[in-house]
Amino acid sequence: MNPSATENIYLPKIAVLDRVVDEIVEVKTFHWHFEDPADQAAFKKFRPGQFAQVSLFGVGEFPASLPPSPTEDATFFTVKKVGSCTTALHALQPGDKFAVRGPYGNGFPMEEYEGKNLVFVAGGIGLIPLRSCIIYALKHREKYNRIQIFLGAKTPRDLMYRDNLREWEKSAGVECYLTVDRATDGWTGHVGVVGSLFKKPGVEVAVDNTIAFVCGPPVMFRFVIKDLLDMGFQARNIVSTLERYMKCGVGKCGHCCIGVAYVCTDGPVFTYEQIRKLGEDI
Amino acid sequence: MKARILDRANVLKIVDLLREQGREVFAPFGGRGRDTFFDLVTNDNRDQIEIHLPNPYYPPKRFLLPHIERLFRIQRTNGLIQIEPTYREPRRAIFGIRSCDLAGIWHLDRFYLGREYRDVYYEKRRRNLFLVNVVCTDVERDIDDDCFCVCADTGPAARDHFDLQLMDLGDEFMVVAGTPEGEALFADPVFRKASPNHVEKRRAILSAVRKRFKVATSWFSATVRYVSLGKVMEKTWEEVGNRCLECGGCSYVCPACTCFTVSDRQLGTQEAERVRIWDACALGGFTRMAGGHNPRKAVHDRRNRRFFRKLAHHFIQRELSMACAGCGRCAEVCHGDVGMPSVVEMIRRASAEVDKHEPVSH
Ligand SMILES: Cc1cc2nc3c(=O)[nH]c(=O)nc-3n(C[C@H](O)[C@H](O)[C@H](O)COP(=O)(O)OP(=O)(O)OC[C@H]3O[C@@H](n4cnc5c(N)ncnc54)[C@H](O)[C@@H]3O)c2cc1C
Ligand code: SF4
Ligand code: SF4
Ligand code: FES
Repeated sequence: MNPSATENIYLPKIAVLDRVVDEIVEVKTFHWHFEDPADQAAFKKFRPGQFAQVSLFGVGEFPASLPPSPTEDATFFTVKKVGSCTTALHALQPGDKFAVRGPYGNGFPMEEYEGKNLVFVAGGIGLIPLRSCIIYALKHREKYNRIQIFLGAKTPRDLMYRDNLREWEKSAGVECYLTVDRATDGWTGHVGVVGSLFKKPGVEVAVDNTIAFVCGPPVMFRFVIKDLLDMGFQARNIVSTLERYMKCGVGKCGHCCIGVAYVCTDGPVFTYEQIRKLGEDI
Repeated sequence: MKARILDRANVLKIVDLLREQGREVFAPFGGRGRDTFFDLVTNDNRDQIEIHLPNPYYPPKRFLLPHIERLFRIQRTNGLIQIEPTYREPRRAIFGIRSCDLAGIWHLDRFYLGREYRDVYYEKRRRNLFLVNVVCTDVERDIDDDCFCVCADTGPAARDHFDLQLMDLGDEFMVVAGTPEGEALFADPVFRKASPNHVEKRRAILSAVRKRFKVATSWFSATVRYVSLGKVMEKTWEEVGNRCLECGGCSYVCPACTCFTVSDRQLGTQEAERVRIWDACALGGFTRMAGGHNPRKAVHDRRNRRFFRKLAHHFIQRELSMACAGCGRCAEVCHGDVGMPSVVEMIRRASAEVDKHEPVSH
């Protein structure tokens, strides 16, 4: 055996934290750059829907989606504080160092969707992976037909990426609908689960020649899928990202393997048709 | 492939030649009772090497994928962070590896070195590993009731993937070279040319040995079919799950299991290391996500996983072999008797029963 030399797939590259933006409770956006400009240049070619492995030294590594669009020339993560690694990231100050490797995963095939309508349905922090696609699609506005965004949050305080939301709500090129489960803080908009937006007077969901992106917590996912199927969407035109416990991100550790798929390398983007065939609970 | 003959008294000459090349040679030794293990050969223990003995539980896969392995060290000095990978590139040989374990390594090769990402740690260890296979011919010592290499089509005599293969002919050994590196050893005068008699003797011994295996060959392929088509009943999986104690033993002894977990360890205030550790899908925490959500809650889902991953046609196509080498270790260590051979039999029986009653569809 004489395999050729290989780069080390487990070795992360040093990154520097630039600034931190509060999004919602326990969720922050971390803007960063690679210490070595060569790493930064190599990383730039990511696709919407891909993810990276984030290292906090002495604590561990976790997968995080890439919310920026490759068209933005920005690198940041939006992360909810849930356990040891995410807490360690939240504790960092601008100037502090951590490490990143990636990008990994298949990502959304945005080129394949050209000429179609795009419907984005996100619940809570499910908007993190979809932000990249939305920005990308708006940047290439002429390549897509109608673009609709349906966004749900628990309360108005749980709406993230507010600057973007305001922009999308105002923009002529996109129909953006928001809803909350509970109207607090003087909310005057729609109240109800995200699926209730589809039936709101004046809303007409594009079904034919449409790709529906669905990301959110498991319960929301199940209900929205049912709504979409009932409206006449075909399973192969519904796409989502799966979240699994991941240790390596490169198809070796086995933790993310579900049915016949390794979520890290075969996913995290799957059509609902593929998800149904995986043969395991998601 | 070239073959040579070696007198029984000279068989350890192979170990000597490999050590003279500067290799660390690992060979099987007997402990107390059933206990056997691979250990580093030294001048002191060389003569205790055993050619025929029950295959050690702790699989030789550990020479390629140590059960705990440091990936890199992280050092912090005045705001500067350095990551330093830890590579081990030993020149090693395993003397006396069984055909099933050889198939296990071949499987690991395609898993760690194939597909879009190559594992550099595995690669560095693999590159300089010389493998001397011993064909299991001693029906008392080498082979026991749990061995089923015949079903898995990996043994008792490996057809490939070794540098040298030894076959015990009684007073002599037949040595077959599988690679140019293996053949190079034949330059030593202890090796003699083989005659047609030797070849005939090898064939006769092998066909006699094959008769000693208990498990029927056809069972495996039927089970692969049932698993791949999703025809295994939930009830059967539950039965398997109910008998699993979630100790993870089956995975830790398996020469073809590949999963690991990764963990950071603090080595002081300014230093940490990242290590990887063998992991097992039978364990409760394997798929548990942050927040406690575990998509594979029931034990039988996790059991199901092990057999699905090993036997589904999808993965066989991807890696060109089942992730089971037929070594029988999991059967020996499992307290619940749900090792591979038992499960293969349970699935085949239960599913065949259903098949019988299903109408034939076109
Ligand atoms: C492809 C992908 C993209 C993702 N993108 C994002 C993103 O953009 N933003 C984001 O915020 N998150 C994202 N996640 C989720 C994120 O990776 C997890 O929240 C993160 O791994 C948690 O790591 P932690 O170390 O903070 O939590 P830890 O809990 O400390 O997690 C490590 C492990 O500890 C164990 N554990 C955790 N909780 C419990 C418990 N209650 N009981 C027992 N054991 C437990 C689990 O085994 C857990 O997985 C993504 C996940 C995937 C797979
Ligand atoms: S050895 Fe047996 S009891 Fe232990 S995890 Fe494996 S199947 Fe379960
Ligand atoms: S599954 Fe069991 S019999 Fe098959 S290779 Fe692994 S330990 Fe051996
Ligand atoms: S995260 Fe390790 S195999 Fe997918």
